[in-house]
Amino acid sequence: MHRRSVIGLIGAAALTATIALSVGTAAAQDSIKIGMTSALTGPYNEYGEGGRRGVELAIEKWNAKGGINGKKVELAMLLDDQLVPDRAVQNMRRLLDNKDLVGIIGPAGSGPTLAVIEMAAADGRPYMNPVAQTPTVTYPTPGKPRPNVFSFALQNDVESTVLARYVAKHFKMPGLVHESTAYGMSGADMIDKELVAAGSIAPVAVESYNQRTQDVTAQIARLQRAGADVVVCVGLGADLAVIRRTMARLNYKVPLVASNGALSIPYQEAAGDLVVGTRGSMVYVFGEDTLNPAAQGFADAYKAKYGADRWWGNDPQRPQIFMSLSVSNAYDAADVLFEGIKRANSTDPKAIATAIEGIQGLRGVNATYSFSPAKHHAIAPEDVAMFEYAKAADKIALKIVKE
Amino acid sequence: MHFVLQLIFSGVCVGAVYALIAMGLSLTFWTTRTLNFGQGSLLMTASVATVALLGAGMPIAFAVLLGVLLAGGLMIVAERIAIRPLLKAGDSMGWVVSTLGLGIFLQGFVSTVFGSQAIAFPSLVFDSLDFVDLAGVQVSSQYLAVLGLSLTLMVAMELFLRRSAWGRAVRAVSHDADAAALAGIPVRRVIVLSFVASGVLAGIAGVMVAQITGTVDPGFGFNLMVLGFVAAVFGGMGNTAGALVGGVSLGVIEKLVGGYVSTAAEHGMAFAILMVILAIRPQGLFGRKEFTKV
Repeated sequence: MHRRSVIGLIGAAALTATIALSVGTAAAQDSIKIGMTSALTGPYNEYGEGGRRGVELAIEKWNAKGGINGKKVELAMLLDDQLVPDRAVQNMRRLLDNKDLVGIIGPAGSGPTLAVIEMAAADGRPYMNPVAQTPTVTYPTPGKPRPNVFSFALQNDVESTVLARYVAKHFKMPGLVHESTAYGMSGADMIDKELVAAGSIAPVAVESYNQRTQDVTAQIARLQRAGADVVVCVGLGADLAVIRRTMARLNYKVPLVASNGALSIPYQEAAGDLVVGTRGSMVYVFGEDTLNPAAQGFADAYKAKYGADRWWGNDPQRPQIFMSLSVSNAYDAADVLFEGIKRANSTDPKAIATAIEGIQGLRGVNATYSFSPAKHHAIAPEDVAMFEYAKAADKIALKIVKE
Repeated sequence: MHFVLQLIFSGVCVGAVYALIAMGLSLTFWTTRTLNFGQGSLLMTASVATVALLGAGMPIAFAVLLGVLLAGGLMIVAERIAIRPLLKAGDSMGWVVSTLGLGIFLQGFVSTVFGSQAIAFPSLVFDSLDFVDLAGVQVSSQYLAVLGLSLTLMVAMELFLRRSAWGRAVRAVSHDADAAALAGIPVRRVIVLSFVASGVLAGIAGVMVAQITGTVDPGFGFNLMVLGFVAAVFGGMGNTAGALVGGVSLGVIEKLVGGYVSTAAEHGMAFAILMVILAIRPQGLFGRKEFTKV
């Protein structure tokens, strides 16, 4: 009796396993699965949870029109890395071990992305980078992208180009100040080169500071003494606020022009009214007076599903400018991945990558996308504009600087 | 001339804050021969608590007071769990790790509750546009307030230690705790008092620096604690005049090097000074050599 029940149990277990397996295979055949790891929780979920929403919206859009070549799309694995590199590595291992996944959406920042990018590149399945700004994520050597990696981030080099072009055009004696991290140093280097290339003189002074420094009097006093007619800064919002406040203390009345940190909430809150006159570079799609149809469609879909929440911003009428780097970037990343699968009419990694490289003039939310075997990044300098804080009727607002 | 005066002035003001932190470190060093390496996190906790209370609609004076008192209160906890048990183990240096651990815990706690991004700290009395004209140099009112408050606190502290009964008790305990106990001094309470005072000084320093930077975040304070430590060693650990001179000279040297050599070199100055002073005068500028009689 005892033995029989054991055999019975084993039999039942085997049967269940067989059914489960067959269900698994069947599902793999009639849907297209993708996987994602991102900062869904934790202090950086601004980008991670925002990215998840973007991907979900793109999936809904494709499924509403019948899926990809008749197959439904599904976010089959969604993992949380909290922007911690170690966790992102574990998550990426799990994603890559799942052979059903056709494409991967990567983490929401350079740290975890640099930790996983080699694994993802070796695996070869299409990998979409929504946020990481470091160009080496996509281009380990300049001009030669990893075959399966496509970037929808605002790359550092693109940002620097925009800043330098603007500065070269409007100022004679730029002074540079940057944080002492890889981001700050490479950014300052690129601006320096671009300034020379744009026909401007080299910066009159280049100063550095440590992230979260308490005092930058020496840095700003040196720029002031060198006679800089503009302070150009590559750094985070909170540090930009220290710089702006120090400029005020030293009665140094020249414009502050900075990387996208200038448009961040910490800068706005900590610098208060001093933000007026500050200029910063940013993807401009949500800063236009009238949203383009793709952006409007995305905004409507977002509002219908999630409402005017903190990713949307304070104005219920229109999405905030920052949404282009927290939600619509991931939306476009997923959209382009699906377009590639559709054009390849296959789930073969190489075929999809080749199909994406063939995309020309595809209107996304953030920009119009064209890729090639040598170009794997989506956002170009033309998609980025300079914004300026202006005060009108006691309200401070960001306006695109018209050239 | 204008340039060098600007640098010196900001160096003196920033240095006064280092001095205040050095003073806080010295207080616990006097009574227990330990340093609280979690001091940086107390600075941060006091300022974050102040922001949170202000956000909840509390009046400025009340919010600052509670924030600073919280730092003092946390020092009672620090003494009780991170220092007292470890001092029982004889010459153990375990308190170095346990106070550092307490600081890291506070950092983690604050980032869990408030997130690890920078939180704006409002201008309390002056804002960054206020200034006073001193001999043609534009002197920021915020910096001037920081300088004035730091100097006042240090003078008050010195008077308290020299003139009041509690101050004399602190000095007696620092001299010889066993003898002080025999003389009827409540050694335990004097030690706790020195920790609370140290925490309060750290809290005040935190709120003052937050005025200058405009933001606070969980990592805020660690750097300042290190600079305060260098100032204390530079001037001579456990010496009020030493803390002041150490802090102010460190601040001025940093700014002058930043202004005339390079701003990248500015960040390394504190550690260069630390190495030099430990090599040639380990007791610091104002410290006296310690002798142990056998």
